[in-house]
Amino acid sequence: MKIKVVESVLKANDAVARENRRRFEAAGVLAVNLMSAPGSGKTALLERTLAGLGPDVRSAVVVGDLQTTRDAERLQNTAQQVVQINTGTGCHLTATQVAEALESLELAGLHYLFIENVGNMVCPAGFDLGEHVRVALLSTPEGDDKVAKYPTLFLCADVILLTKTDLVAVLDYRRERVYEDISRINPRAPVMELSCRTGEGVDRWLSWLKDERRRRTREVTTG
Amino acid sequence: MHEMAIATALVEQLTCIARENNASRITTAEVHCGILRQVVPEALELAFAAASADTPAAGAVLTIVEQPIVARCRSCQQTFQAAVDNFLCPVCQTADVELLAGQDIILQTVTLETPDERTS
Repeated sequence: MKIKVVESVLKANDAVARENRRRFEAAGVLAVNLMSAPGSGKTALLERTLAGLGPDVRSAVVVGDLQTTRDAERLQNTAQQVVQINTGTGCHLTATQVAEALESLELAGLHYLFIENVGNMVCPAGFDLGEHVRVALLSTPEGDDKVAKYPTLFLCADVILLTKTDLVAVLDYRRERVYEDISRINPRAPVMELSCRTGEGVDRWLSWLKDERRRRTREVTTG
Repeated sequence: MHEMAIATALVEQLTCIARENNASRITTAEVHCGILRQVVPEALELAFAAASADTPAAGAVLTIVEQPIVARCRSCQQTFQAAVDNFLCPVCQTADVELLAGQDIILQTVTLETPDERTS
């Protein structure tokens, strides 16, 4: 007997993601999903961001890696709460893994929850975690051709950060190529250049993030 | 290798459908994969074979149909087929578009075998 189903294969993940989002919104937390290749500077960005947001802003971090608790240890002193998820062989985080991590987090009183996804330019983009904002990072040493090579990561991004700009001087890096590729894929996403080493450009990112939180939490309270 | 995660979700979905319909086995499943999901059909088939072992979906013939990306231009409302790395509207040459298709993975149909069918 053949039957018609027409149902999303990832409906279970999406249902958990919706529940995560509901919990974030109930607590007034902006959830931010950071995605990039390994080594693009996600953890360095978090260190800068947490320090830049200042002591009055309370943030938690969920960090996904295949192995080790090194990122969690790096962030221990700057974030109020840190949970490390080790995915073993899993190349992306799922909504269920984030929901499990929430069991050991106190959401009440938090302003931001940063989710540092597993370093990978393909798989994380396909899995909703319940975040409000998707951040795609691309570091200059990765090359100026990666937007065209891995378009889906940039297509789903709400903001694109070009990191490690302090290294441009020693690279054959054509900025205009990156901007041109983005304009063909996702012209709505703001593109920001920054260096976590020198701090250049970090302020612009921080003010975008704060605006986003103000805008989204207002939407939640009025909606 | 996000195909393994997709295969595992698919097997859970199929197991659920088999139980709801009192079926002993699932013999075919047709899945429509949006190109933006970047599913490699061969990888999904392999992952499905591994994930479905010892479930009602074991041995099922999996048909994977790739679905093109369909976008609608926000300025001129033109609907067009986009490429993974190019969402430029053929009319306005801007990529400010709304996605209509190409990003979902949908289980379209399944064939069930009930215990009665087997004996008859």
